[in-house]
Amino acid sequence: MTTYSLDDSSVFVVIGSGAGGGVLSNELAQKGHNVICLEAGPRLGFGDIVNDEAEMFGKLTWLDPRMATGKPDPNFPVWNCKTVGGTTMHWTGACPRFEPYEMQARTTYGEMSDTTLVDWPMPPEAIAPWYDKAEIRMGVTGTQGYPHLPPGNNYKVLEAGARKCGYSDIDTHNMAINSIDRDNRPSCHQLGFCTSGCAVGAKWSTLYTEIPAAEETGRFELRPGAMVVAIEMDDDNRVSGVTYLQDGKRITQKVRAVAVAGNVVETTRLLLNNKSERHPDGLANSSGLVGRNYMRHFTIQVMGVMPGKVNFHRQTHLAGVVRDERKHDPSRGFAGGFLISTVPFTPEILAKNMLVGGWGRDLTSVLDKYDQLAGMLLTGEDPPQLSNRITLHPEARDDYGLPVPVIHYEDHPNTIAMKEYAWKVGRRIYESLGAEQVVEMGDYIPATHNMGTARMGDDPTQSVCTPFGRTHDVENLFISDGSLFPTAGGCNPTLTIVALALRQAEHIDGEIRAGRL
Amino acid sequence: MPGGMPGLALSRRALMGRMAVCAALSGMATAARAAEAGVATLAPQVRSTAALMHVAFPHERLDAQFYARVALDYLAGIEGTPASDEHERGLALLDGSHIAPFANLPWPIQRSMVAKYDQEPFFKMLLMRGAELIYRDKKVWDMVGYEGSSLEYGGYLHRGFDDIDWLPATGDVN
Repeated sequence: MTTYSLDDSSVFVVIGSGAGGGVLSNELAQKGHNVICLEAGPRLGFGDIVNDEAEMFGKLTWLDPRMATGKPDPNFPVWNCKTVGGTTMHWTGACPRFEPYEMQARTTYGEMSDTTLVDWPMPPEAIAPWYDKAEIRMGVTGTQGYPHLPPGNNYKVLEAGARKCGYSDIDTHNMAINSIDRDNRPSCHQLGFCTSGCAVGAKWSTLYTEIPAAEETGRFELRPGAMVVAIEMDDDNRVSGVTYLQDGKRITQKVRAVAVAGNVVETTRLLLNNKSERHPDGLANSSGLVGRNYMRHFTIQVMGVMPGKVNFHRQTHLAGVVRDERKHDPSRGFAGGFLISTVPFTPEILAKNMLVGGWGRDLTSVLDKYDQLAGMLLTGEDPPQLSNRITLHPEARDDYGLPVPVIHYEDHPNTIAMKEYAWKVGRRIYESLGAEQVVEMGDYIPATHNMGTARMGDDPTQSVCTPFGRTHDVENLFISDGSLFPTAGGCNPTLTIVALALRQAEHIDGEIRAGRL
Repeated sequence: MPGGMPGLALSRRALMGRMAVCAALSGMATAARAAEAGVATLAPQVRSTAALMHVAFPHERLDAQFYARVALDYLAGIEGTPASDEHERGLALLDGSHIAPFANLPWPIQRSMVAKYDQEPFFKMLLMRGAELIYRDKKVWDMVGYEGSSLEYGGYLHRGFDDIDWLPATGDVN
C-alpha cells in the first residue's frame, strides 16, 4: 500500500472521497500524479453493508451537529454521508444530464427577481464530452450502449398512470446501477435498499470503484477518519499544507495543491473558517459569495393507495422517470422544470414523513395498505438566491471544535409555484389508475442535492471559482463538488459533479505538466 | 404505597394500572424489565402511554398487549432523561382534565383530547419514537406486507419485483 510522508509536498490532496473527490483522486492518480485523499469518515467493507435502513443510517450519515433557519429542519437540514464513498453510498444512482437550456438559465428564463440567475460560464457543448466519459465510467443505463434496468412494480404504476395523463418520455431512467455484470461488479439484484449502500455493489459508489482503482495505480493513499480542520497558507498566497484531526492527533500534510470536495456544507465551512489577514472573510472569499446561492432542489412526494398490490419496496428506489415536465414552459406559471421518479419507503420512514401532516387514522389507514402503495418523488429546479446561504455559528462548536454550520433556506416564489403544480400532476397520475387515496407529502426530506455555494464564473467579483473549479483567489486551491454549480437545473446533480471532476482533472494534469501548479 | 404518590385518587389509579399491566404482560419478555422498574409506580404511566400510542397509531390488527409493550419500551427509553419529565407533564395534562384517567376514557374523547395537545413537545416526541418502535417491529412488517432484508434471498429480482398484475396494458416500456 502506498504511503506518503507528511513533508512530501509533491502530493495533490483531495478532501472528501465521494462523487467529486473520489473521481478526481482516481483520475489524477491514473494520470501519474501522487494523490492523498482525506476522508472524515471510516472505510466500510461489504460485510458492513446490511439491508436495514435504520442501521445503515447510523453507519453512513454525517451526524455532527448542523443548524438551520427558515424552511429546513432546524436540527437536520442536510442528509449526506460521512464515510469512504461519501454520499455515493446513499445516493439512488440517477444520472440525468443537465439540459442545455438549464445551463443557460439566465438567457432562457430571463430576469427573475431576488435571484442571481446566470448562464454557466461554458457552453453546454463543452460539457457534453465529459458527460460521455462520466456515463461510460459509471455504466449509466440507457446511455453509451448500456441496457436499461428492467421495469418493476412501482415503475409500472408510474408509467401506466403517466401514459394515461398523456406523458410519453418515460423509461427506467439513466442509472449508475449495473444492468449487466461489468467493472467487476454484478448486475442489480433488486434488493430494494439503494440508499443504505448497495450490499452487492451493483450501484456505482466510489467506495467500490474509484477508490480501489486509484489504489491499484500505486500513486494513491486514502486516509480515512481524517477530519480536515485547516488549510495552511504560505507567504506567496499558496496553500502549503492541510491540517486534519485523526485519532485525536492534529496532523499537517504538506501539499502541491488541494481540492475540496466536502459536499457543499463541509466545503463552505472549511473555507469560511480559514480566515487570515489576507483572507479576512474566509479562504477564496474575496467575492463574498462563499456559502451564498445555496440551492437544494425541491423534493416532494405523492403516494397512492392503489387498487391492487404494488409491493413498492421490492425494487431499486429510483426505478423509473417521467421527463415530460422537465422543460421551460412559462405557460405553467413558473420557469424551469422537474422530474417525476419513483420512490418507496419502509413503513418507519413512511410513517415519519407522514407524521408531519397528521397522526391517528389519517396515518394508519395508509400504512394498513402498505403493500398497495405506489410512490413518486418530484424534484425540481430552485433558482440561486443570495440570501439562501451557509454561515458559521458564532458560538456553537462541534466535537472537533469547529463552528457549527448554519443553513438558511427559503423557497423562491418560482419554486412554490412549481411545487404546487407538481403535486397536482402527481395526484392526477395515480388518480388516473383509480387510486383509493392519494397522499401529498411535503418538502421536508433533508436536502440531499447541495449546490451553488462556490459558483463557477469568469468574473472574480461575481464568482468563487474559474470554469475549471479553481478558486480565483488561490491558484493551487480547487473546489470539486456541487458547490461549483452556478444554477441547479431540474435534475439530480451527481453525474454533473463527476463530469466536472473529470474535466477538472484534465485541467490540473495540464497545469502540472506545464509547471504552473 | 410507593413514595411520591400523593393522594388517594392517584394511588387507586396506580393500583388499577398495576393490575391491568400485570395481566397484559404475563409471559412477555418485557415483564421482567417492568418488574425491575417497579410496576406499581410505572403502571398508570404505562397505561396512559399505551393509550396514547393507540390513539396516535391505531391499527385494528394490533392488540392491547402490543401497545402496552410499545409503551414500556418507550418509557424505558426516556427514563432518567429530560424527555421523561416532559412526558410526565403531558400525561398530567391528559389525566388531569377529566374525571377518569385518560386510559379509561372512550376512544373518541381520547382522540379529541390528544388533538387539543398534539403540538405539545411531549406528543411530538412520542410520535417520532413511537413510529420507530411500532414500524421497526417485525410483527408489524408482516401485518402490512413489508418484507425487510432481501440480501440473504438474492434480492427481489426473482421474487416478485415485477409481479404486478392488475395494471392496464401500456405497450413497450423502453
